[in-house]
Amino acid sequence: MADPIVVTGLGAVSALGLNAAENFAAASAGQGGIAPVEFDTGELEPLVRGPRGPAPFMASVALVKGDAHAALEAALERRVGASFDVFSVYALKAAHEALAEAGLITGERMGGRTAVIMGNGVGGLHTQEKAYEKFYGLRGGKVHPMTVPRAMMSAPASAIAMEWGITGAVFATSSACASSGHAIAQGAGLIALGMADVAIVGGSEAMATPGGMKSWEGLQATSDTMCRPFSIDRDGMTIGEGGAALVIERLSHAEARGARVIATLAGYGQSSDAFHWTQPSLEGPVASMRQACEAAGFLDGRQVLISAHGTGTPLNDKNESAAIHEIFGANAKKHPVIATKSGHGHVIGASAALQAVIALKALEAGIAPPILNYLGPDPECDVDLVLGQARPIDAKSLLVNAFAFGGLNVSLAFTV
Amino acid sequence: MSGRDEELIEIIAEEALIDRAKLDPAAKLEDIGLDSVDLVSIVFAIEEKYGVEIAEDAFERTDTLGVVLQKINALIDAKEA
Repeated sequence: MADPIVVTGLGAVSALGLNAAENFAAASAGQGGIAPVEFDTGELEPLVRGPRGPAPFMASVALVKGDAHAALEAALERRVGASFDVFSVYALKAAHEALAEAGLITGERMGGRTAVIMGNGVGGLHTQEKAYEKFYGLRGGKVHPMTVPRAMMSAPASAIAMEWGITGAVFATSSACASSGHAIAQGAGLIALGMADVAIVGGSEAMATPGGMKSWEGLQATSDTMCRPFSIDRDGMTIGEGGAALVIERLSHAEARGARVIATLAGYGQSSDAFHWTQPSLEGPVASMRQACEAAGFLDGRQVLISAHGTGTPLNDKNESAAIHEIFGANAKKHPVIATKSGHGHVIGASAALQAVIALKALEAGIAPPILNYLGPDPECDVDLVLGQARPIDAKSLLVNAFAFGGLNVSLAFTV
Repeated sequence: MSGRDEELIEIIAEEALIDRAKLDPAAKLEDIGLDSVDLVSIVFAIEEKYGVEIAEDAFERTDTLGVVLQKINALIDAKEA
């Protein structure tokens, strides 16, 4: 491509830290953010506690490390109040960091040639749940008047647009665990079509609420202990909260304004399994990975760092390993595989963007962060896992996978 | 100003993200810059804290903040009586 789409800004908020550098530092130091937390239904207690009401329960979860709200107020140099659901706070904080790195915070409105596409799986669940708690649990006549605009899935995108005066295409993507992958792909598509010069793309998610965690518990997809990607005896995923954003634009546009180029978005793939709600097919992930790898020229024998979807569920990791073999054949074990969900948890709609941010930092530093909580090899996950401690790498190419429930897949290919 | 007035002004400042210094009891709501979304959020927060019901049309944009505080205080006093 003569004038490729490049990345000029990165931002991240998760259990590993409140910015991209902290996230990469924690991941490469092998520090995870998963811990047991008691989930309680705040205001319902003690009114509906007991046989008819929910009891508190423990669950492993990766909550955001530190005070994201205070960090956002410091970044914006103004008070933010309680105007936003937390998933918008994460999105705004990550977007601010990415825009600042890209040199795009100028005090001027960004206008109509900028797009914002931010993915999420479920919208503002903390806000929604608080409203339902009041209405169903406490039988209150009123819920918070801003419940709808705070909880709507497009709230993070709107918040970013209002903050920086962005009047171009602004919307949310939703495809469960692949949402921010689709956001990045759609942003690149708008730029490729000439409909935007710059796109702020990524996602955010905050569903570690009592009701949200109960829903995951019901599905029996979450681990009772720890997320252990690709490990023997792995027993499920661990929910995390967070957000991540990337600024993307044409290389010529970045050069014209003197922006530092972090990476090239060299390709992406999108597919659907059309198969099962919670079980992955082999064909769907292979299709998205192949599209991304072919577009980026990754099948020429070079080494590719793979930031795996790597949820720690028995089925995903086995299936993803098989997909890596299917794509790379005899070279399959040449590519280091990382699984940062073992540190920041599964941040659902924010996953693809958060993994891209951390892995792009890894490419830049030449250091692959280790997979945490590993107990031992599973013969069905026979790929080159980065284990124990961070590994020096020479790879200049990155493949990021996101495979969602409902069979929706995105793969992203970057080069530095 | 009573302690409760201070609490109410704190709620208004917090919900509408308005500098407390601007919340002069002699100022009219429209001059303070409270919009309709701010007002519904303020009403909700006060109802939550004091367990009172405030009618939708309780406040006029031409009311001063002092008048609004009097109306709210009357509701809270009636509930507590």
